[in-house]
Amino acid sequence: MSEAPWDARPAPTAGLPQLAGVMLKVGATGFGMGMVGVLQQEAVTRRAWLRQEEFADGLALANLLPGPIAVDAAVYVGYKLRGWIGATVCLLALLVPAFAIMLGLTIGYLHYGQVPQLHGVFRGLNAAVVALVLAVAYRVGKSSLRSAPQVALAAVALGAALLHADPMTLVLACGVIGALLLIPRPKVTP
Amino acid sequence: MNLLRLLLVFAKIGAVVFGGGFVMIPLIQREVVQHYGWLTQQQFVDAIALGQITPGPILISATFIGYKVQGMAGAVVATLAVFLPSFLMTVVAARHLPRLRRDPRVAGFLRGVLAAVVAMLVMAALTIGRATLWFDWRLLLLACAALVLLVRWKVDAVYVVIGAGAAGFLLERG
Repeated sequence: MSEAPWDARPAPTAGLPQLAGVMLKVGATGFGMGMVGVLQQEAVTRRAWLRQEEFADGLALANLLPGPIAVDAAVYVGYKLRGWIGATVCLLALLVPAFAIMLGLTIGYLHYGQVPQLHGVFRGLNAAVVALVLAVAYRVGKSSLRSAPQVALAAVALGAALLHADPMTLVLACGVIGALLLIPRPKVTP
Repeated sequence: MNLLRLLLVFAKIGAVVFGGGFVMIPLIQREVVQHYGWLTQQQFVDAIALGQITPGPILISATFIGYKVQGMAGAVVATLAVFLPSFLMTVVAARHLPRLRRDPRVAGFLRGVLAAVVAMLVMAALTIGRATLWFDWRLLLLACAALVLLVRWKVDAVYVVIGAGAAGFLLERG
């Protein structure tokens, strides 16, 4: 897979319908973080709308900001290519498949959720959700808790959460503490 | 009135879901289950599970909650509201990206936030686990098996969720 020829050509233009089409596909075929992979394949590899570095910048931004990484990245792609309208089209197109499917599942659940045969299914799903959340905690912890003070802050936060501290306050308070105390040491620059 | 409340609650949640959609679990639980009583704990956990088997972002569970509270209009409002804050921030921040990435205070803020995120995820697992798995060793075992599949063998979450649903169905019948 050589990327050089693409850089030599001018970047293909992305019309709003094409953007919408790609985002519908990403939203319909990617699950959670899996969407990032589909998005990259479509926007960088297949259509060369963005160079790999530009896409990586989008992912970095998505990491800095709240919101699912894949959604932020899709909005970034849309904004880069077609400004505000592009960003809006990307967000809405990305959400349409998930929204439609979730709506169908919700209506089905509210009608048939009490069917006894389904109790077992939902209990199994509960077990999976607990495992998933722990797996995410492990992954985020392993990749993001990189210093002793940070681990200590996480432990204090867990203690506060166990004492029923308000989650929103907790996130913002830890952010402020981090901005004051967990600032990375400046690198020596010439 | 409920629509306005849905809008505010979900926009508030959307503004602080750092580190991936799962952080919404304690946030939504606090507001939607404990504060407003829009969903029971069981419905809330089921909404999260349904969000798992739906393609797209996990935050789409907002659609379920919105629909439960205020039908179709509620579903649309909750879904848009939860994604609105990060949408606005992404578009506005896209131009200032290089400066943001260099700012040590931003990096510090994010380090602090991620510490809280890890704590809240553990808390979310404890809360859901206590409500649903605690009294059934078979489900506890199922959760442990799922965890091993996810962490040790990096099995895709969708398959784990579907497999666990099937296992639960068989356990209930057997």
